[in-house]
Amino acid sequence: MTRRPSRSANRSHRSQWLVAATFVTGALLVARIPCPLAAPPGSQAEAPAEPPYLTPAEIKLSPDGKKLFVACEGNDSILAVDTQTKQVVARAPVGHRPRGITLSPDGKTLYVSNAWSDTVSEVDVASFQVKRTLNTGWGPVGLSTDRAGKTLYVANSIADSVSLIDLASGTEIKRFSTHRYPEQVVLSRDGRRVYISNVLPHLGPYDQPPVSELLALDATKQVVAERILVPGVIELRHIAEAPPRLGEYLLVPFMRPKNLGPLIQVSQGWMMTHGMAVVRPALNAPVGEGQSKVTQVLLDDIDYYFAGNDGVAFTPDGRRAAVTSSDADTVSILDTAKLARRLQQGPAEELADRLDSAATFVVARLGTGHNPTSVVTSPDSRWAYVANRLDDSLTIVDMAQAKVAATLSLGGPKEITPLRRGEQLFHAAKYCFQGQFACGTCHPNSHLDGLAWNLETPQLGRDRVANRTLRGIRETAPYKWNGHNPDIATQCGPRIAKFLFRSEGFNTQELEALVTYVNNIPLAPNRHLAPDGQLTEAQERGKAIFYRKNTNDGRAVPIQSRCDTCHPAETHYTNRISTEVGSATKYDTSGLLDTPQLDRVYEDAPYLHNGEALTLEEIWTVFNNYDTHGITSDMGKEQLNDLIEFLKTL
Amino acid sequence: MATTMKRVLLAVTLVVVAATPFLGAERPHLITRWENYTTATGMPDAKVFCVAVDGNRVWAGTEDGLALIENGKVVKVYKPEDGLAHRAVMGVAVDKNTGDLWIATFGGVSHLSGGHFENFTNLTSGLLNDICYGIAVVDQYVWVTTTAGVSRYNTYSGEWTSWSEKNAPFHEPWAYGVAPAGNKMYFAIWGGGLLEYDVAGNYWKPYTDPDEEMETVLFRNQGLIHIIVSNVAWNPDTQMVWASTYFGLSGYDGRNWHNYLTMDSGLASDFVNAPKSRRNEVWACTDKGLSMLDYSTNTWVSYWPGKQKSQGEIEITWPDRSKQKLFTPTALAHNYILNLDFQGEDIWVATAQGLSHGIREPQKEAQLYAHTRNPRSTGDLASGHPQEGH
Repeated sequence: MTRRPSRSANRSHRSQWLVAATFVTGALLVARIPCPLAAPPGSQAEAPAEPPYLTPAEIKLSPDGKKLFVACEGNDSILAVDTQTKQVVARAPVGHRPRGITLSPDGKTLYVSNAWSDTVSEVDVASFQVKRTLNTGWGPVGLSTDRAGKTLYVANSIADSVSLIDLASGTEIKRFSTHRYPEQVVLSRDGRRVYISNVLPHLGPYDQPPVSELLALDATKQVVAERILVPGVIELRHIAEAPPRLGEYLLVPFMRPKNLGPLIQVSQGWMMTHGMAVVRPALNAPVGEGQSKVTQVLLDDIDYYFAGNDGVAFTPDGRRAAVTSSDADTVSILDTAKLARRLQQGPAEELADRLDSAATFVVARLGTGHNPTSVVTSPDSRWAYVANRLDDSLTIVDMAQAKVAATLSLGGPKEITPLRRGEQLFHAAKYCFQGQFACGTCHPNSHLDGLAWNLETPQLGRDRVANRTLRGIRETAPYKWNGHNPDIATQCGPRIAKFLFRSEGFNTQELEALVTYVNNIPLAPNRHLAPDGQLTEAQERGKAIFYRKNTNDGRAVPIQSRCDTCHPAETHYTNRISTEVGSATKYDTSGLLDTPQLDRVYEDAPYLHNGEALTLEEIWTVFNNYDTHGITSDMGKEQLNDLIEFLKTL
Repeated sequence: MATTMKRVLLAVTLVVVAATPFLGAERPHLITRWENYTTATGMPDAKVFCVAVDGNRVWAGTEDGLALIENGKVVKVYKPEDGLAHRAVMGVAVDKNTGDLWIATFGGVSHLSGGHFENFTNLTSGLLNDICYGIAVVDQYVWVTTTAGVSRYNTYSGEWTSWSEKNAPFHEPWAYGVAPAGNKMYFAIWGGGLLEYDVAGNYWKPYTDPDEEMETVLFRNQGLIHIIVSNVAWNPDTQMVWASTYFGLSGYDGRNWHNYLTMDSGLASDFVNAPKSRRNEVWACTDKGLSMLDYSTNTWVSYWPGKQKSQGEIEITWPDRSKQKLFTPTALAHNYILNLDFQGEDIWVATAQGLSHGIREPQKEAQLYAHTRNPRSTGDLASGHPQEGH
């Protein structure tokens, strides 16, 4: 039996490391010796030129079912597909990274959200021309008009808000906060409510199960009606409202992680389950006092899982529903009557964890193309259309027979590059034991899931670490919080296979493709930095603090305590050296932790290695009592606020 | 025929216009009935610090939680165990755009939205200090007055901006009250006077004691009456700002100051906790009762509990300084008044012993006035109640 070092021994050991790390860091800076891991000066290397893949992220059917509109995230366009001839009949360029699409109530106007342009393109359906471009908040994704077509609700994923745009003037008139990373927007059939799903959970204690939010707005009063909490789950995606004959309930797909237990239990199954929230809204409750009823039911089977639940749609006759599993390349066809019966069996709280539910109401599991996201159904209830995001195709499902009727190519490039193949593999849960999860399951939108995970230690609660973003990480090796992974290939290859997937993992070619993709996940534009790069007064003051060499009272800030020592601008604000900043707790084996890059740090909450700091402020106000994470004890609140404003510009 | 009709209409109009002053315009409206909400009727604490009306809903911040009053009942109480940042609720602001509530507490700021709280503290956010008094929502900004200065939260970008003695003319950082005033913001600074901030121009203008030494005015209407300003209110109808101090009430119309003391007005007490103003009315929440100046008639009306149980007293101070007392069968919950808000013609009053709903009943008002004389107004705001040097 191995004897664990005592706490004091650990501390002594850490101190030695701290001294060593400090010495190395200082030496590198003072002597200006190029770091062996350092990337060339300048910005991150550009991604290799790729064929113009369409990457259909979202689809919407015209009210008469004759045309299908497709938002193509990959080539910044929208398409119109004739559902009779199954031909692409129109194309139009829109803004950068279109992620959402909706129609005006009269079917004459399309609204397309451009996630990286922070705009909505208003498109005339008849001419398929962009008529206007409307400004939104940061990172618009899902959107919907109100029933009268006078206002537009837009989910701003980066701004954690929902914009309400007056369509007569084309201007935003108000904004609602939401938590976090809002993605999909749906107007209720009666026009009274607007629902917004959130991909990331509320920021909360790192050792507690997550809680996600479905925001309900009162579309008549245009105020917040209710924040419907869905406990224990993350990644709320599309929202579907059941037809009237089924009663007023919503289906919202989710992922239900067991992040508080050791992840080695993947081999025992049930580590990450996937299902739907069944939400019965409290429609008649006064604003702010509603308590909608939420039941959770899983879509996984006992011995195989369906990861990445994303799209959902009912057939208008209410008999069936379709749910896409974007990491399992599957669309599940549900019998709604059987689902209703299942929901009435046994205590609701048990259903959330039972793997024997799906067998009672899933009619069929149908294979789709890669990464099926959005699904819509035809007005006659006969067809369902599934957008295969990473195949540039649509899967057409015969809902009555629960069979795939056809696969329709949208005309994207035929060649599959390593990067494209890598992204497909990123969303392929079949490489994991029982298909429990893919890379993209814990890194939604190639980012992070907002959770702290007990990754590899077979001891409950030890070495729990916060998930980290995969965006812009190419030049930030080593990886993992302990800095033990020298490159992406090690992380995505043997480590994934052995510790996470509990499978044989990827073969050599697959791994190469996956690494290509992960190395090229781009950073989104910085929303806190002015387009011309000019800093605000507060950001300028913060910059001075970031680079300061003296404290407020004139004392020299030791080189190892300066912000830019460990977070140098030249290498994405990480010196790529493990350092002890005093954030380790009794649950951590080592206090030496990888220095994270700071690019778009405002999107990366929670912070510190275990996700204990829920905000940037807390890094210093709560977890830097002894000036071990830079000298901040002399700073006033105004200075700390300025520093944070500067950090957000990185 | 048409000409005849026009003449008749003109004559009727002239008669109505001429008679208007005699129909009650020179007599201020009266609150004739009080309905009180106390711990016996569901309030979480007797001491009510603030009140904010949102349509039919009334929010009351108490020393032990936040209460929601609706349809004559306390329908909901929020405490720290429900997610409220602190039990002591000092200020409440309704965001009319979103329906959300922003709450200033002694433990930071709470944002109540859709039935759930999100809290902002000095440790978790850019908030200057957790001891928060006043709060206001203007467009996308939430303004908070704290014991360390003023914080502003941009709900769109998440940016916090701070003002204190370090970057603005705060003689003292202890900020009590906040009042949005179009493109400006006013702040009540305890010991630091009244601060005006031009939002677009990023320009501060302090109003303190005129000689910057005595802390108070030396002559009537010379300037802000005293630098210990407890709260501030903006009247959008008259474009006047009102400042309550512990040594009288001050109003500023952009050119002149209008100061009031008990010795020369109908003010119930010089110790004023908060002002509130609309139309031609300014209300003063004092430690000895609630006073209202109708400055179109230069008449004061003050309210406090009577000596007899449940009986309320109304004291009218006419323009000629004569006083008259009226009595109502119901009374304010307590004479120590901390805050007030309007709900149509009614008022809601935060007191040290409960929340009072003041109801105006025109018929009863007429009955009460039937027993009073009816002096004419001087109609001159500035010349009313001459204040001697002191």
